[in-house]
Amino acid sequence: MKPRRPLDPYLLLLPSLAVLLAFVIAPLFFAAKTSLYRWDLLTEARFVGLGNYASLASSGQLGELVGRTFGFGAIVVVFGTTLGLALALALDRPGRLYAFFRGAIFSAYVVSWVAVALLWMWILDADSGLVTVVARALGLPTLSWLGDPRSALVTIALVTVWKITGYAMVVFLAGLQAIPPSLHEAAALDGAGAWRRFLHITWPSLKPTTAFVATTSLIASFQAFDVIRVMTQGGPVRSTTLFVYAIYEEVFVNLRVGKASALTVVFFVLLLGLTGLQLWAFRTQRASRPREEEPA
Amino acid sequence: MTRRASTRALLRRRGWLGALGSLSLGALAGGPVASSLLGCSALSSALPALWFSYGGKNREALLALVKAFGEEQPEHRLRAVYQGDYFELLAKLRTAMHAGAVPAVTHVIAEVMPYLAEAGVLEPLDELEGLSGDLELVPELAQEGAFTPKPGRRLYGLPFNRSTPIAYLNGAVLDELGLAPPTTWEELERFAALATKGEGSDRRFGFACPIDWWFWVALVGQAGGELVDAEGRYVLGAEAGERALALWQRLVHEQGVMRPPPGRDYNAWQVTNLDFLAGRAAMIWTSTAFLRYLEENAKFRVVAAPLPRDVRHAVPTGGTMFVVPRAATSEEKRHAAAFLRFMVLPERANEFATKTGYIPVSRAGIAELERSGWYASHANDAVARDQLRHVRPWPWSPELFRVQREVVQPRLEEAVLERRPPREVLASARHAIEEGM
Repeated sequence: MKPRRPLDPYLLLLPSLAVLLAFVIAPLFFAAKTSLYRWDLLTEARFVGLGNYASLASSGQLGELVGRTFGFGAIVVVFGTTLGLALALALDRPGRLYAFFRGAIFSAYVVSWVAVALLWMWILDADSGLVTVVARALGLPTLSWLGDPRSALVTIALVTVWKITGYAMVVFLAGLQAIPPSLHEAAALDGAGAWRRFLHITWPSLKPTTAFVATTSLIASFQAFDVIRVMTQGGPVRSTTLFVYAIYEEVFVNLRVGKASALTVVFFVLLLGLTGLQLWAFRTQRASRPREEEPA
Repeated sequence: MTRRASTRALLRRRGWLGALGSLSLGALAGGPVASSLLGCSALSSALPALWFSYGGKNREALLALVKAFGEEQPEHRLRAVYQGDYFELLAKLRTAMHAGAVPAVTHVIAEVMPYLAEAGVLEPLDELEGLSGDLELVPELAQEGAFTPKPGRRLYGLPFNRSTPIAYLNGAVLDELGLAPPTTWEELERFAALATKGEGSDRRFGFACPIDWWFWVALVGQAGGELVDAEGRYVLGAEAGERALALWQRLVHEQGVMRPPPGRDYNAWQVTNLDFLAGRAAMIWTSTAFLRYLEENAKFRVVAAPLPRDVRHAVPTGGTMFVVPRAATSEEKRHAAAFLRFMVLPERANEFATKTGYIPVSRAGIAELERSGWYASHANDAVARDQLRHVRPWPWSPELFRVQREVVQPRLEEAVLERRPPREVLASARHAIEEGM
């Protein structure tokens, strides 16, 4: 559709732009400004320059947070993507039984985080949880999954994987169904087995889908908050305090608005860097792909 | 699509739109009726607000008192608004203070009161009508005794749900072992060792206690230490602070007779209570606030006992104080003052305390309970009352709240769960206080 006046496209964009400006860009600038102050909302703000950033770096808090958040993200992305792909490959078949399994697995994704967290708290209870009961029955050692600083973060990461795998599976299913069956038929006629067909047809075709799933899973893992608030409140010994939870704790528990704002700015820069990296990888991949021949 | 089919679709659309329109009109007409049925009319939302922060039995007791206040003094009605746990309420209160949309009255944990008072956001209560002079409050629970005194300090908070840590023991276990509640740290260790038995899901721990600042402060006091020295510097109990941590480490790691509950803050407290009720812990330390809850839900006799001593008896106070934000309007402050006068009356303070397990905040109220034989028939309540003579006051320090939440609490977990040397942990805490405060 051709716009009647040259200004029309901009007018149509204006509502979205206004919302973006009011709820994303302006708060970001406000956070950047606040990060230069020591402020508790009640008393006069005191200008400290880059003091909040220096304090975060010198105390080791920033390094710990970045390391912990990336570690959490790595587990979620690797396991979530791999499991999602495996399930998609296994369930990409016609029939009611497969449809039921697809629906059942995806249903975890639409359940609220709080319900998921409460369910898993019961399953993982160190005394009478399902996991503990089964482990004891099999004579395996048990652990306070959420109470031990060594296991709490991995446990929450695996709960996250359980929740988001259904989403990864559905996206991979869409990717699988977009691959022309003729490619597989031709390869099979040439004598390629299932593994070679996966390696040379399915996997290359699914690369953009994988990049999409990995990026969205990484973003989801970086935004983890409710699951931590309900299951561990950042503990034990800060072992599950990820970036977003640390921001919450600084502003609402420790009453340090400046420090929380500094964390927000660093978090934004980190996410910006990751998005840039992802865009670069996507464009490089597209540029290196041979152009498809135009139909005659 | 055929003409007939498209007409049918149009009719369906019209039907939906019609239903939607009827619903909207119905909502407009029925709104006032529905809102009055739900008790949330425009009138009620215009009432001055009382923000409160807990649920269950305590909530029921408070709401009953607010209702009684409204009926008794209709010119001073307040609207009670639930605001989450203590920390959530505090976060909302600060935001409301910044935005200038404060409640008429609220309650905050005592440790945060110096911070709010020194920030100048609390109304001195002795300026409000009927709140100056002797209100006949129990001094250990009121501002004057709960904090280190200073001549000329204004009155910023009135005690509401006030408590101390206390020991609860499983009466059946006491009978089984033929023991009395422990009165010293040595006896505590002995009791915990004797009461621990079983393995796996059948294991019963002799002792359970949240790894929490409040209980550590109690241990520091019992070991003869103070949080701050005479110059006001945070020494965190010095050697006594280390002894307190070492006791926990011994009980958890060397003897395996104490269970540090998983979770933080009130989640850990809840787990401790549930462990006690389920028979997984023979003795717990928690708040006097849970007295009634534990008594009513335990399938065994609950025996309350004072916390044991090391070189002396000592307990901190806990719970909350009523405060009035300075930014409230003079009209709101008038309603708030009337409500506070109502709440410190002996019969009101007793009503709340006897329903919940919090300690009555009125001297006359306690005297009345003694006279009426309440304490004779409620021995556990008498233990809580008698322990008040061992109360150690909090330092009146604006940093107290941050020292608790930001510096000490996470390090207690480190010391106990990761078994870090107590000296190293407390040295790092003192360093953090010097750097950060």
